[in-house]
Amino acid sequence: MAEPYLVVEHLTKVYERGHVVALKDVSFEVQKGEFLVIIGLSGSGKSTLLRCINRLIEPTKGRIFIDGVEITKLSPRQMRKFRRKIGMIFQHFNLIKRATVMTNVLTGRLGYNPTWRTLLGLFPRSDRELALKNLERVGLLEKAYVRADELSGGQQQRVGIARALMQQPELLLADEPVSALDPATSHSVMQYIEQMNREDGVTVLASLHFLSLARRYGTRIIALRDGELVFDGLPEEIDDRKFKEIYGEEAEEVEVR
Amino acid sequence: MPPGYPKVYPKGKPRRMSLDAVADFFYFGFRNLRKQLSIAVLDMGAVAVLWLLMNYVIIRFSTGQIGYTLVPWWIFGVGVVEAAALWESFGRSFGHRVERLELRRTDGREPTLKQRVLYWLLWHVSVLPLFPLLLVPSPHERGSGLELRPFTMEGRVPRPWWRTSTGIYVAWLMGAALTAAISVTISWEDLVRLFTRAGTTAKFWRSFFSPDTSIILKTIRELVVTVFMAMTATSFAVLVAVPLSFLAARNLMRGVVGRFIYTVIRVTMSIIRSIEPVVWAIFFLVWVGAKLAPFAGVLALFVHSVSDLTKLYAERLESIDPGLIEAIAATGANRLQILRYAVIPQIVNPYISFTLYRWDINIRMATVVGMVGGGGIGQALFFYLTGNLWKQAGTVMLFIIALVWGIDYLSAKLRAKLA
Amino acid sequence: MARMLPAKVERGRLRRRLIALFLDWMSWGYVAYGVMYFLNDYWWRIPLERFYSTLTLPPWGWPAAVLGTLAMAVVCELTGYSLGKRALKLEPKRERPLTREELLRGRAGKPFWRTQWGVMAVLLLALTVALGWHIVKIDPEALIHPSPRAREMLSEIFPPDFRYFRVPDPAFELRGLPYSILDLMVLTIFMALLATVLGAAVALPLSFLGARNIMGFSPVGWLVYGVVRGFFNIFRSIETMLWAVVFAIWIRWGSPLAGIMALTVHTIAALGKLYSEQVEGIDPGPVEAVVAAGGSRAEVIRYAILPQVIPSFWAFTLYRWDINVRMSTVIALVGGGGIGDMLFYYKNEGKWALLGAVVITIVAVVWAMDYLSGRLRERIT
Repeated sequence: MAEPYLVVEHLTKVYERGHVVALKDVSFEVQKGEFLVIIGLSGSGKSTLLRCINRLIEPTKGRIFIDGVEITKLSPRQMRKFRRKIGMIFQHFNLIKRATVMTNVLTGRLGYNPTWRTLLGLFPRSDRELALKNLERVGLLEKAYVRADELSGGQQQRVGIARALMQQPELLLADEPVSALDPATSHSVMQYIEQMNREDGVTVLASLHFLSLARRYGTRIIALRDGELVFDGLPEEIDDRKFKEIYGEEAEEVEVR
Repeated sequence: MPPGYPKVYPKGKPRRMSLDAVADFFYFGFRNLRKQLSIAVLDMGAVAVLWLLMNYVIIRFSTGQIGYTLVPWWIFGVGVVEAAALWESFGRSFGHRVERLELRRTDGREPTLKQRVLYWLLWHVSVLPLFPLLLVPSPHERGSGLELRPFTMEGRVPRPWWRTSTGIYVAWLMGAALTAAISVTISWEDLVRLFTRAGTTAKFWRSFFSPDTSIILKTIRELVVTVFMAMTATSFAVLVAVPLSFLAARNLMRGVVGRFIYTVIRVTMSIIRSIEPVVWAIFFLVWVGAKLAPFAGVLALFVHSVSDLTKLYAERLESIDPGLIEAIAATGANRLQILRYAVIPQIVNPYISFTLYRWDINIRMATVVGMVGGGGIGQALFFYLTGNLWKQAGTVMLFIIALVWGIDYLSAKLRAKLA
Repeated sequence: MARMLPAKVERGRLRRRLIALFLDWMSWGYVAYGVMYFLNDYWWRIPLERFYSTLTLPPWGWPAAVLGTLAMAVVCELTGYSLGKRALKLEPKRERPLTREELLRGRAGKPFWRTQWGVMAVLLLALTVALGWHIVKIDPEALIHPSPRAREMLSEIFPPDFRYFRVPDPAFELRGLPYSILDLMVLTIFMALLATVLGAAVALPLSFLGARNIMGFSPVGWLVYGVVRGFFNIFRSIETMLWAVVFAIWIRWGSPLAGIMALTVHTIAALGKLYSEQVEGIDPGPVEAVVAAGGSRAEVIRYAILPQVIPSFWAFTLYRWDINVRMSTVIALVGGGGIGDMLFYYKNEGKWALLGAVVITIVAVVWAMDYLSGRLRERIT
């Protein structure tokens, strides 16, 4: 097996002076080009795990390597530079609501441009062209100068994907990208993410609520429960017993088509 | 507890005496101290206020004088402390209510009388010297086997308010306060005049229908001055308040230095805000001299607006959506870029809206500030009033009302657009 | 109906275009006013006091000004995206889809200071600042070099003299009664308390009569709604200070009751408006549920509306209490009684040290009340 792209070693995160434990000694590896799905109940530590990987949240203990670089050792400045390679999309899209779609997409290039230019809102022509290309790719070219809050949920998430695409990422972190969407829209958004994974070779880490979605899109699944890694394997390995172990005794599996 | 919920509190104490354990001790100790102290202070304050009010009423009705205590101050002090202690031990006190806590046994059951007495006795050695409160649980809680835990209605039936100690307390407080207030502020003669002398104001109302036309141009001129006073004060205030608001937002000012700056600005602003513009106007009129009356008025409005706007702006900054900041930070943006793309877009409209609101207030305030000599329409009104020129005063009032109404309407319309 | 619709839309657009034109006209009128003002002041050297608002123009001047500004407005309207159009969002229509090049340049290709409305807005802003600076007579010199009297005041005010905090000042009395600072402060708080309690008690029932969704759409409902709302709006725009003037003449200059009445009237109007807006903004779900269960109008109010609005009613009342405390400290200026009497007495006598004590007391009380009401409001909402 080749050198893994992402390595997480003994990752631990505690809040409140050690009295709230979000992640407990989580370790796993991800190969380049994998579509890794993280499942678990709300509050099981999925979001914290994703945010530790690009250090939006500082881990308490443990090490994370991306492409051989130990990112837990980087200075804040180096980390900012490194984040350019890590795209991220969010459950609630986190777009600038009052700005146009174009501006939102262009923010994906902030890390690549000098500060003074971006403060004035001046992005180079090449970036604008790239933005149009990415908007075309997610099918929103016509909406380029529409305000982001005028779009529907699915469209907003596609803007989020276009923003992540602007970074030309090697790794995409998707924090419950479809939880706020209805089932039909969910699939279209997931397909764009899958396309990034297949065509651009982007490694994807996505946390998902529904097991059916995880089975459909993931090449591998890890499961968290109370901040502990309780499962690491292929989608088809999750049977009824495993399911109850992850989600608790009272849970029933729900299909999302 | 729902399945999958993180097991929040690990059992047991820290095992070894490390630096972490010491830090933990003080962290949780001070939290406990704060909680217990705030309950005690609230209860003592509540008892003291009621006591003073009752005495006020008694003295007022027995001697007709104004007085506050019937007993020496040390008896008053001991009484207040003891009443608070008893209240906390044998009932659900005012402080418990405010903090949403209640006194229960550690197993969650109703305390016995013996435990309550023990709690009351130990309260004196635990709460009065303060430092025992650093221990978690505090000596009086541990000694009596009781603890303050979050109040819950689960599995219980509420009592009507008149059967809870806080309800009775509030009823007494309201009764005493209203009695005292009425007895000291409203005299019989005034009340009689209120019902018999409404006719004296007729001269005002009459001038509303037949204003003094000879002063209309002069009045409009003063109105223009007033509007510009408000406008100038507001715009300069915005220039100062916007940068200050960033320093006064808790979520942006992290770390020791940041917290220090935050506290200093917040405290200064709230003190400045507590001084009415009228008082500021008195000060600035002396400062710049009465010749520059409108300027003094503007300075007064400016100072008050800065403190008010800073508070409003900062509160808005504190409630911005952190998700967008995360999203922009995740693209590799630096602090300035985050400010430009994640913070500013969220605050522009609320800031404009607050500014309009403040402008509206400033126009009202400008008329009041004018009354102490701050220039503009207020000064004219005060001049007519003190000269018993009722008709002219009525005319000016008519204009002020029209102006205030118009500006209020305009600013409300614009703010509705912005929302 | 389907054929009516476009015409209606067009008519709406026409109305909005007229409003836009009017706005442009007004802004040009403002420019003209500013120009005239400065011409008067600088060029013709006409004394300031006479020319704030009255403009002396030659006989042909007025029509020229009116028509000239109108002409400017029309020109702006025709040539581009004017300020009025921007305000009403009358964007020019686009016929064809955007080309790639246009998409690339986008809006960012034209910053606002290069659009017509942007230029106009900047012009108006600059004019306002210039006019304001001039009319208000801003004088940084005076700010930096305080008057000799100010120095005297500063030297006396520190340290403030708390001699008469508990003991009445023999030189000061109100209607023959001696008062210490503390006595008057307590009296002032009581004034605010009474005004708030009375005001809230009256505003509460009135607010339901002033709520659209309670009053229904019958003629009587409309009438009551209109009267109550009109009352709120008119009485609210008459400032507390003006009410104090009225009541001071009515009752007696300097009587606390006059202050209380002034505060109460304004409190009724202000709280009434806030309350009824709150009632209008409730979630209609519970109302439906109570109606569906066969509830009468009174029961709807009791079980569906009151539970929803009580917390915000408390919050507004506390907020108003806070305002009333501030107001009551200075209402004596216009004959409303309270600690302001002492404040203005010491100010007129120039006893700065004693004034300092009064001001500090007021600040402490107002600050404490502000803090308390803020904390309580946090608790409630």
